[in-house]
Amino acid sequence: MQATWLDKYFKGDRTIWLIVFILSIFSLLAVYSSTGTLAYKFKSGNTEYYLMKHLSILVLGLGLMYAAHAIKYTYYSRFSTIALILSLPLLILTLVNGTNLNEASRWITLPGMNITFQTSDFAKLALIMFVARMLSKKQDEIKSFKSAFLPIVLPVLGVCALILPANFSTAAVLFISCCFLMFIGRINMKYILGLGGIAIICFGLFVVTMLAIGKTGRIDTWKARIERFTSDDNQDNYQTDQAKIAIAGGGLFGRFPGNSKARNYLPHPYSDFIYAIIVEEYGLIGGILIIFLYIWLFFRVIRFIHHSPMAFGTLLAIGCAFSLVFQAMINMAVAVNLFPVTGQPLPMLSMGGTSIWFTSISIGVVLSVSRQVEKEKKEGGQELAAA
Amino acid sequence: MEVKKDILWRIYLAFLLICVMGLAIIVQIVRIQFVQGDEWRAKQDSMTLSFEPIEASRGNIFSDDGSLLATSVPIYDIRFDTRATAVTDEVFNAGVDSLAQALAALFKDKSWQDYHHEIKEARAERNRYYLLQRNVSFSELQQLKKFPILRMGRNKGGLIVDEKNMRQLSFGHLASRTIGTVRDIKPVGVEASFNSDLQGVGGQRLMQRISGNVKMPVRDKDEVEPRDGNDLMTTLDINIQDVAEHSLEQHLREHNADHGCAVLMEVSTGAIKAIANLSRNKDGDYVENFNYAIAEASEPGSTFKLASLMAAFEDGLVDLNDSINVGNGTSVYFGKKMEDAHPPKSPKLSVQQAFESSSNVGISRVIYQRYLKNPEAFISRLKSFGLSEKLGLQIEGEGQPFIKSVTDKSWSGLSLPWISIGYESKLTPLQTLTFYNAVANNGRMVRPMFVSKVLNHGKVIREFSTQVIRDSIASPQVLAKAHTMLEGVVQHGTASMLNKSPYKIAGKTGTAQIFNNKYGYDKEHMTYQASFVGYFPADKPKYSCIVVVYAPSNDVYYGGAVAAPIFKEIADKVYSNHLDMNESPSHTDSLILSNPLVKAGQQKDLHKVLGKLNLSAASENPDAYWVSVDSRADQMKANERKTIVGLVPNVVGMGLKDALYLLENAGLNVQINGKGWVTRQSIQAGTKIRRGQQIQIELS
Repeated sequence: MQATWLDKYFKGDRTIWLIVFILSIFSLLAVYSSTGTLAYKFKSGNTEYYLMKHLSILVLGLGLMYAAHAIKYTYYSRFSTIALILSLPLLILTLVNGTNLNEASRWITLPGMNITFQTSDFAKLALIMFVARMLSKKQDEIKSFKSAFLPIVLPVLGVCALILPANFSTAAVLFISCCFLMFIGRINMKYILGLGGIAIICFGLFVVTMLAIGKTGRIDTWKARIERFTSDDNQDNYQTDQAKIAIAGGGLFGRFPGNSKARNYLPHPYSDFIYAIIVEEYGLIGGILIIFLYIWLFFRVIRFIHHSPMAFGTLLAIGCAFSLVFQAMINMAVAVNLFPVTGQPLPMLSMGGTSIWFTSISIGVVLSVSRQVEKEKKEGGQELAAA
Repeated sequence: MEVKKDILWRIYLAFLLICVMGLAIIVQIVRIQFVQGDEWRAKQDSMTLSFEPIEASRGNIFSDDGSLLATSVPIYDIRFDTRATAVTDEVFNAGVDSLAQALAALFKDKSWQDYHHEIKEARAERNRYYLLQRNVSFSELQQLKKFPILRMGRNKGGLIVDEKNMRQLSFGHLASRTIGTVRDIKPVGVEASFNSDLQGVGGQRLMQRISGNVKMPVRDKDEVEPRDGNDLMTTLDINIQDVAEHSLEQHLREHNADHGCAVLMEVSTGAIKAIANLSRNKDGDYVENFNYAIAEASEPGSTFKLASLMAAFEDGLVDLNDSINVGNGTSVYFGKKMEDAHPPKSPKLSVQQAFESSSNVGISRVIYQRYLKNPEAFISRLKSFGLSEKLGLQIEGEGQPFIKSVTDKSWSGLSLPWISIGYESKLTPLQTLTFYNAVANNGRMVRPMFVSKVLNHGKVIREFSTQVIRDSIASPQVLAKAHTMLEGVVQHGTASMLNKSPYKIAGKTGTAQIFNNKYGYDKEHMTYQASFVGYFPADKPKYSCIVVVYAPSNDVYYGGAVAAPIFKEIADKVYSNHLDMNESPSHTDSLILSNPLVKAGQQKDLHKVLGKLNLSAASENPDAYWVSVDSRADQMKANERKTIVGLVPNVVGMGLKDALYLLENAGLNVQINGKGWVTRQSIQAGTKIRRGQQIQIELS
């Protein structure tokens, strides 16, 4: 082999490393191009400020990913319980006195470090790992309601309920991811479908109560968003219209990097609607490439899982990969107006520290599993050769 | 193995779902790009989104005590959408007569028939942006909003109001040329020189055209918030400025002069306390339209004799008591006659007497004799006084001073004697004043200063300290002689009319014949420049001042007669205003004994506070809610301050909290300047209130 140092330091599926690297470069370019308005607003036109900030976030993200991949994945089983327990008070704290961004308290400021921190990202990762752990532990009695379904579903509902008031879309995406993970982990289909039904009813009740007690919070925003999505009244539909104009302007090959026009008109072009900017600048080709990269990532995970002997490893890697790729699809579906507007960032592409860091960690976890699988395969191979 | 297979097919199902989502997104992109593409691209082209600049509010200019000198006030251009939704034929025809009458009555610029005709025509042309009136004030706008048709508002009634900012000088033309403007073809004054501070940074806002000429902001907030300009604190004292300007105007008028200027400067700091420039316009009125004091360099005349003699003193060539032969007051240099304005008292004068009586012959002979062999020494001495260099002012447009060099092409045998009495040279009044100021300041030449601080929302962000141009222009002995001579001018010389003053003045008169471009120095067409420059109190100089009156066309043209009285009026005002000049012996004692100064406010608060301090105030009316306190007498008195609904209350002497409460409750829109207690309110107490009217209060 030529690149021995690569072998030595970058364990796990090399293709996943490559995909992450390509996504990071796209992220850097698209964020730099779309932060112009922001730079004029806050940094008197110093656009390099956001470039450097984003670059350092990406570099730190890669560092976290590297660290996460170096840890043996079985440790995550134990770690997940602690993290989940830790995430509950953090979520409550955020709800009570979080930093208010867009009227949703999604952030807390870490004392002493002065970093705002989106707790739901942390809780999301903790929950996925925890569900994977529980599913693998309960495989023997997995079809049971009491001993398998309940211990898994209760933490899921708890965490989602705590995220829900501030951030409906994150809660929903997380809930759906967990349901899928349970489905993959062979939980009885009846229970999952029943759970879905109950969740819809509960959410309905929640909205009604909130409206009844007059404390509408985010509900107004949700209502407006859904109304806008379902109605044809384009006057109010500024965001999605702008996104469509961006996409239409891109054409097959795009306007080329840095030439976006819509970035000046589109709100949050660097986060929620970054995909529209990418399509505008890199065209349909670029748009397909991004989708392909996410699908390819998922595909690579499935490939190495074939060789995974352990249920926990499989479920952990699939859980992390699925929630990431699923969120990516939802974000892109919003950007092309297949879905009502949510506030989901595009993993690894959108600007924003917490999102990128926790995405990096979850990819690191996936790589850790892959590393172990490769190692065992190699050892198996050696044994075979020895025999 | 069964379990693994079971898990794997589920994973493939999830993968399939992801692939389907990805495919759906791609299909949707293709749809947007290729099926609806033209529609969206057309929308982009037709979208009349544009970034509109937002003007930053320009900084204010204050006097040295924080009085507002220049500020920006909103004014409005009024337009009329003659085809607004509710302006039907019925409504229009019913209201147009009274609207035209109301407009004519308000603006008084056209007859109501003219208005009537033009509005009807505009409607016939379907004009949706018809200009009714430019530069309408806020109060006029309030009235306009009540007019027929227009009172239905923007959308229905078609009243379109475009706001602009206009610079307003609170004190009219007082120091207007020094405060300056940026609107002129050539920007001048503090406004121009400090423009980058004052103008702030404009913002941007994304606007979308809705219909016609109406634009609406796309988002709630501005894309780029404008940053307000900084405020300037000038050194000008508005009270002295007022006196300087009025006194100057009165005397210019009296002498039928062409133009004149007066500048008052603080000796130790160089702070310009007043600077007035007036010239006669075509109608015979005196107006500020050129900064003569700063910009007009001309032959200084007799005031220059001080520099000549100081040069000779410094070189040790002559002393105060050396005698000069002046004969009958005429002298001939190379066939050119030089005359004294008045025949000398005796054919022999001391140097000091020659200076005090401003004898041309005397001074020129001293210099001519002493420097004939070495005129370079004289010139280089003059230059060592800093007379040949620009001062480097905070305001642009300073005139170039000129001291002729020996090597100059126009240098002749006449140059030396004529330069010595203030000809063949050029100085601006301010340059002359700066030289005299240095003499008063024991030789230290400081740069005249107009702006002392740059402020941002009351916070000092830049402070200008006194700048020394030359640490010492002459030796202490020479300066002492200069002081003696200048005091002598007032005591028994050409400015003896200034002698009767409670404080001592020192100075020099100047009368220069102005070289006329058409007639030269021809007697028949002679124009004169009368000036007086000096400082006071002579023994401990605090202020220096120069007054120059150009081309007084009436008979009296001597500096002593024309300029000195203006000097005196300004000096008297300064003297009466600044107690520190006349030292009061009981100054410190009175502070300890007197009652505290108490802000006006609520009576119950007052008694509570005083109670804590073991003091008391006698109440005029114990039931009064608002009181003001008289602390002058031994026993403090709380006088009732009546507030009457509908009339502007008196808030002078109150703290900001009480003043705001009262004014805002009265329905006024309050603008606040400064901090401390209210010293001025822009609308007099007792004036009838119009709701929403703006009132400015100044605190210090």
